[in-house]
Order: sequence, then C-alpha cells, then structure tokens
Amino acid sequence: MRRAGEFLRGALRRHEVLLLLVLVVEWGLFYHYGTTVNRRGVVVGFGTLDRQFDVLRHSCEIGLLALALTPVILTAGIDLSVGSLLGLCAVVFGQLWHDAGLPVGAAAGLTLVAGALGGAVNAGLVAGLRLPPLIVTLGTYSLFRGLAEALTRGAVTYTDFPAGFLFLGQERWLGLPTQAWVFLVAAAAIGVLVHRTVTGRAFRVLGFAPEGARYAGLAVGRTLAIAYVLAGTVAAAAALIYTARIGQAKADAGTGYELYAITAVVLGGTSIFGGRGSVPGTLLGVAAIAVLKNGLATIPAVIRLNAAEEMAGLLTGALLLLALALGALGQAGKVEG
Amino acid sequence: MPRRLLPVLSAFLGLALAASAADSRLVVALMPKAKGNAYFISVKAGAERAAKELGVDLLFDGPADTDAAKQNEIVENWITLGVDVIAVAAENKEGIATALRKAQRQGIKVLTYDADTLPDARSFFVNQATPAGIGNRLMDEGARLCAGQGEFAIITATLTAGNQREWMKYIQARLAEKYPGMKLVAVRPCDDLKDRAQSEATALMSAYPNLKLIMAICSPAVPGAAEAVKQAGKVGQVKVTGLGLPNENQRYVKEGVTGAVILWNTDHLGYLTAYAAVAVARDELKPGAKTFHAGALGDFQVVGDNILLGQPFVFTKENIDQFNF
Amino acid sequence: MRRHARELGVTAVLLAILATLALVAPAFYQTAPLRSLLAREAPTLVVACGMALVIIGRQIDISVGSQFSVCSVAAGLLAAAGWPTALAVAAAVAIGALWGAINGALVAGLGLPSIVVTLATMVTLRQGLNLARQGEFVNLPDQVQWLGLSQTAGQTLILLVAGAVLVGLAWALRSLAAGRHIYAVGSDAEAARLAGLRPRRVTFAVFLLLGALTGLAAAMNLIQSPQVQPLVGSGLELKVIAAVVIGGVAISGGRGQLWGVLAGLLLLAVISPALTHLRIEAYWEKAIQGAIILLAVVTEGLRRRAGGKGAG
Repeated sequence: MRRAGEFLRGALRRHEVLLLLVLVVEWGLFYHYGTTVNRRGVVVGFGTLDRQFDVLRHSCEIGLLALALTPVILTAGIDLSVGSLLGLCAVVFGQLWHDAGLPVGAAAGLTLVAGALGGAVNAGLVAGLRLPPLIVTLGTYSLFRGLAEALTRGAVTYTDFPAGFLFLGQERWLGLPTQAWVFLVAAAAIGVLVHRTVTGRAFRVLGFAPEGARYAGLAVGRTLAIAYVLAGTVAAAAALIYTARIGQAKADAGTGYELYAITAVVLGGTSIFGGRGSVPGTLLGVAAIAVLKNGLATIPAVIRLNAAEEMAGLLTGALLLLALALGALGQAGKVEG
Repeated sequence: MPRRLLPVLSAFLGLALAASAADSRLVVALMPKAKGNAYFISVKAGAERAAKELGVDLLFDGPADTDAAKQNEIVENWITLGVDVIAVAAENKEGIATALRKAQRQGIKVLTYDADTLPDARSFFVNQATPAGIGNRLMDEGARLCAGQGEFAIITATLTAGNQREWMKYIQARLAEKYPGMKLVAVRPCDDLKDRAQSEATALMSAYPNLKLIMAICSPAVPGAAEAVKQAGKVGQVKVTGLGLPNENQRYVKEGVTGAVILWNTDHLGYLTAYAAVAVARDELKPGAKTFHAGALGDFQVVGDNILLGQPFVFTKENIDQFNF
Repeated sequence: MRRHARELGVTAVLLAILATLALVAPAFYQTAPLRSLLAREAPTLVVACGMALVIIGRQIDISVGSQFSVCSVAAGLLAAAGWPTALAVAAAVAIGALWGAINGALVAGLGLPSIVVTLATMVTLRQGLNLARQGEFVNLPDQVQWLGLSQTAGQTLILLVAGAVLVGLAWALRSLAAGRHIYAVGSDAEAARLAGLRPRRVTFAVFLLLGALTGLAAAMNLIQSPQVQPLVGSGLELKVIAAVVIGGVAISGGRGQLWGVLAGLLLLAVISPALTHLRIEAYWEKAIQGAIILLAVVTEGLRRRAGGKGAG
C-alpha cells in the first residue's frame, strides 16, 4: 500500500513537472512572438505587466471553480453545477444588495451562505441518498440556472455596484489584482485541506477504494458532504469576483465555466476516477489554459486570422489528450516494469 | 519579472521598431457580439472594404457566443496590444463600460456600434436604429401583416439576451399604445438555434389555434419559424416577421411564408463604423459635427454623439433579391 | 417489478404530464403537430439509444453534440455540392462512425477515461467547425428535404427509422450475445475479461456504433429543413445523457433498458411544448427541467433507502 502510494506520488510529481515545462514553453513562446512594438513606439502585447495581470484576472473565476472541483473529483465525484451556481449566486447577490437593500458586505456574506446551501443540495443527494453525482449535478445544473432565470425573469441585470465592491474585481491591491489575493488564499486553504489534513486524505481514500473506505470506518457521508458544500461556497466566491470584475450580475453569468474548470483539473493531473491528484496540479492546469488562451490572442498571425478562441480550444483539447496519453503510457510502463 | 525584462526586450526590438515605423498603419479593432453570427459576418465584410479603402489594419474578434465577460477580456487584450481605436457592439451596456474606460485612459479611441455602452465610455455611437425604432418597426410591420387584429407570439434568443429584452420593451409599449386589437400571448426562447425555433413555433401554433403572427427577434429564429409555418400548412394563416438576414430568409419571403424581414443594411453598418473609427482616431471627427462623410456611402447625419445609419430596412418579396448578406 | 422501478417511475411522470395535457390542453393531441414534434425528436432518440449502450458499457460520450454538428454540416455541404442525397446521408453516417472510432480507439486502445477523452474531442470538433464555417448557414438543394417525398411521408419515414433503431437495438441487447457482453463489461470489466470476453473490443464497438448513429441522426435532422445551421446540435449531449439516465440506465454501467430511455427522452421532449400549452411562462422552464431530473433520480434513491441495501 505504501509502495503504491509512493509510486503514485512519483508519477504525480512527474506530471506536474511536465505541466510546468509546458507552461514555461508556452510562456516563452508567447513572450517571444506575442510582444511587439506598436506604431507609437510602445511595447505592447504579451510581455507587458498589464497583460500578465489580465491573464491573472481572467483566470480567477474559472481557477476558483477548478479549485472547488479538485476535492470533489478526488472523491471520484463530479460537479457539473458549479457554473450554474455561479450564475445563481451572482443574481442572489444582486437581489440582496439592490432589492433587499442590504449593505454590500452583508449581501456578500449571505451569498456565500447561499452558495453553501446550493452545495448542500448536491451533498444531500450525493452523500445522503447515495445518488450518482453526475446525474445529481446534471439536474442541479439545470435547476440552479433555471432559478437564476426565474428569479430575474431572465431580464433583470444588477449594476451600479459601489466602488468599494468593484475594487475587488477591477483594481490592484499590494501590487496584484485584488481578486488574485482571494484566489491565492483559497488555493492555500484548499491546498492545506487536501494535502495536510485527515479530511484531505479521506477525499483520496474515498476515490481510491470507496468500499474499503466504508469498512475502514471512514465517515463517507460527511467527507462527501464537505467536498460538495465547499464547492458550492467557492462557486459563490467566484460569483462575487465575477460580478465585481464585470460590474454586473445577471442570470447568464458563468455559463459553460464548469467545462473549463473540469478541463483544468484533469489537465492538472487529477484522475477523473478519483483518488489521485493535487491542488498544485490544478493550479498549473488553470495557468496552462489561461496562458494559452490569453497568449494566443497576442500573436499577430493569430490575430489576423481572428481565431484566438478557436485555436485555444483546439490546442487545449490536444493538450488534454496528450497529457492523458502520456500519463497512461507512463503508468502502463511502470506497472509492467 | 516581466518589468525587468522589458528594457532588454525594447532594446532588442529597436530595429523592428524602426522598420515597423515605416509602414505604420492605423489599427482598428472591431468587436461583434458574437463572431459566428451571420449578422456580424456581414458587418465585418463592410468594415473590411472600408479598411482597404482607408489603408488601415482591421482586427475583428469577439466571443463565439454572446458573452459579456468575454467581451471585456478581448478589449483588455486589445489595450495591451496597443490598438489605435476600438469599436464595440456591446453585449451589456454597463458591463463593457469598465473595460472601455480603461482603454480610453490609455489613449485609445473608443466607439460603439449596433448596441451602445454608457455615454462616458465612448466618443461616438454608430446608431443603426434605436431600440425604439426597431421595436416600433417590428410591431408596426407585424400589425400590418395581420391587419391589427389577433394573437401573436415572440420567439427570442435567450431570456437573458440584452438587445432582445430592450426591443421587447418597445414592442410591448407600441402594442399598448397603438394596437388594442392585438395580444401578445407567449414569449419563447430558442437559444439562437434555428431548429429549436422551429419546434417552438410548431408548439405555439398548436397551443394557440388563433395565433395570427410569429415575431422572431433573433436572426436564426426567422427561418426556423417560417419552416414551422410551412410544415404546419398554415402559410397565410399565420404570418411570420422578424429581424433577420436576407440570405437566410430569401426562400421563405419569396414563397410568401414570411411577410417581411426587417433589418438595416449590416454591410453598410460595418463600413460606416470603420470609417467613423478611423476618422475619430485621426481627429477628423469631433464632438459637435453635424454630418459625417463615409467614402462611397456619402454623408450621414450626426445627432449629438450618435452617427445615424438611417431607418431599418424592410425586405419584402419585391426587393429581397437585390441583397446579398 | 422492482428491477424496473426507475423505468416505471419515469413512465409514470410522463403519463401524468400527458394526462394533465389531455385534461387541460387537449389541443396538444392534434395529429400533425404531434407528428412534427415526434419527428423533430426522433434524431435525439437515435443518439440516445447509442448513448445508452455506451453508458451501459460504463463509458460516456459528451462529444455527440459536436459530432452531430460536424456530420450535419459535412453532409449539407456535400448535398449542396451536388452529391445525391443518399450519398450525403451515407457520408454523415461514415463521418460519425469515424469520430466514434477515434473516441473508441482512445478510450479502449489507450485505456483513457472516456469523459475526458470526449471532453477533448467535443471542444476540438466544435472549435474546428467554428473556425471552418464561422457560423454560416448551409443552403440545401430542394430535393434533400423529405428525400423528395411528401412531408407526411418523410416524417413517417423518420419515425420508422427511429423506431427500427430502438426496437432493433433493444432486441439485440436482450437477445444477442454481443448485447449481453455490453452489460457484462459494464458491470465488471475484469470479471468479463476473466470470463473470456474482450472488454476493449466491446468498448470500441459501442463508441463506433454511437458515432454512426449520431451521423444517422444528423441526416434524419438534415432532411427536415432546407438549411443547416452550424450551431445545430449544441447542447445535444446534455439532453441525451439526461434522457438516458433518467430513463433508468445506471451511470455506473451494467444496467438499463432502452424502453426506459424512450420514456426518459419523451419526458424531456414534452416539457417545453407542455409548458407552452399550459401557458406557463418560459423562464421557469430550466428550473422545472432540473427539478424533474432530480425528482426522477431522488425517488429511486429514496426507494433504495427504504428497501435497505439494494443492488447499488
């Protein structure tokens, strides 16, 4: 058992090293090809500090969702509802602040509670009733988005948030975009939870051997519940940051984000079957995709083709397959050898 | 780290700088609401023609599907690319303003076209038709098709789509004000999918046997609704109108399924926007101007900070052949 | 009885909605619109049947929506280029089969998780199509619609094809060795291997079949209108997977019936027109859809709980 654990940790480390390499190569290529001087003689493009901060800002929400999904996927679960929950929480926040007239801080706090409640719905069905997470969260994926639309009749958009709140999404604090700090704190907290606590180990044990976990006396229900409620809460935090960055809360916020987040987690080396994976891996996965997406948009040839988004999608797909294939081959070799 | 590398990089690029200064062309960045949409592809064609005539570089990029967050990200990318002028069709009025103001602070000129942002976040708005103009025209045309009497339904893009919501507001206002004989019985979304619009229209016709008109206010829904009416054998009994492109609707308009399709000339919208953008960037178009001359299209009226394209156009059986976009 | 609890539960919910419609909105039951509705859902049923086999075999394919779009556009372009309709239809099936084979090879050959493989192919195909077509409609020649038949004949043919796929696959699942192998592999691939089956071959075959069926479905949709929108099929994967799982197919593999899938799909398909007929405003639709999915699975969870340790 212990040897297996060591082997897995080794493989994992290898995956992360590989991903780091990809990231460095991406970054270098974009730095080289994506930095130019414009006609006014100003250095523009990927190599500017502004652009680097943009990359950071643009990846915070999806990054948070990816962080939220890491424990869930470690337990061999999945949560397709995080993007919809982001939308619902954005709308709830808007209503609490605008319609109910609460101060921004209180509205934000209650929004986090709402996110936790959304996560608790998933948790109750997955952990309480032992239903398959894919179906449960497919249902709540529709339900949460539907509630967001029903609450606003699809039509209401909340704007004119106070500057103090927009600071969270549009300004810098201590040199970094404000939301980056939230992201870093969340990353550190979830990193500690996953890698340094009993609960974190329980996530992985559950993904590895669910039956064994039960016989070993692990509180299966509680562990699962923690993962899903945490995911809901983090999705609410992402909703606040999204709202602050765009300056509006609307029922369509975060549409499709769950797929980007799952992609980042899996690219980061977390096994979709659970048990294996790490928070640093997820962070690297998020970074690799974000740099790819934002970097391609600075390369003149790509700009001329107007194809940055499509090419980023294509390359992300290819990168994902490559990472998987390499992982599979590496593992096969290891098992046989 | 990037900051430390920048001087080195700048030195490196010194030669390139000298070289690029020689053919320094103005860079115009044009953003659609959704770049795969036929409407904006036609806008792009007009803008490209203008860019060629003016000798400027044109960037055209936007979200694949309408996505306010993605629009902000692309504007921020253009800021770091140091483009000279940005023209945006705003998916969300307030949402995009943040990014556009940032661009203005960096000395980039900003215009909007198709859908406006907050006035302080741009210099001019190329106004193809006000939401009121569109809403009124749609309602008037719909009322004309069914002689001001009967039930009608609307098929929209999504329930959250910004433009559509705005138009519906004016459609309903016009309805209340001028057409007491008509009644809006249902609003259904089609997710910008033609096939879904077809299914929705089929269900609407069977649920509301007295339905006289389907008003499709996103472009894929117009041919979708028309096909449904045709398949239900209700041509003439249920009229179709909406905002759509001539090419996608030609066959239905000629067969008499779709009474009329309303749209401004999107190709001209792109052309005018590109001309206005270049003029603003070159300081040739300033606040207070009364008219603006755009190449082959001649003079356009300027009212305040709105450059007016003119009235929306009604495509009918008689004229739809003359357009190709 | 209890073995089919989920299937029966879904059928009961479906019947309840249909009964409500009969009482409150009998206009729902007009022949022509109903035939239209069914013909428009028939392609989805064909994909759902293929998806059911994949899920029974303990895999999943979330790239079917993108595959559907690619097959539709490719067949449309071929038809527009003057190919006979029959050949364009065959091409759609072949292209679908090709993508199915690619997914199958990656999953079965390399042993990669299907959800991730098909996530990657989904993104790749969709973005590739965006890049190639930029959203432009394909206009089809006139003889493509209804294969040159009358509308009623065309719709009836589409329904017959979908029915044949459903009945044929249901029979094969139950009566052919190959069908039972899918259940065996889905329940326990290792045990199946020890019993002399070849799980990888079975896995490859179900993906291949799903791809071909997706191509067929694209063709069945293509002939119902004179234009193809490249966006066609976006979101199809979620609808199909939802239909399959609320129809009683276990996401963990090894269990499920195609008649349950039919009930699941009809349930999902009827929600939207039912809301129109019941005059319920559209912004409740997604919430209701989600609630019905949850209702269908929760009842089963509660039943299992009440009945103590079920089959799991």
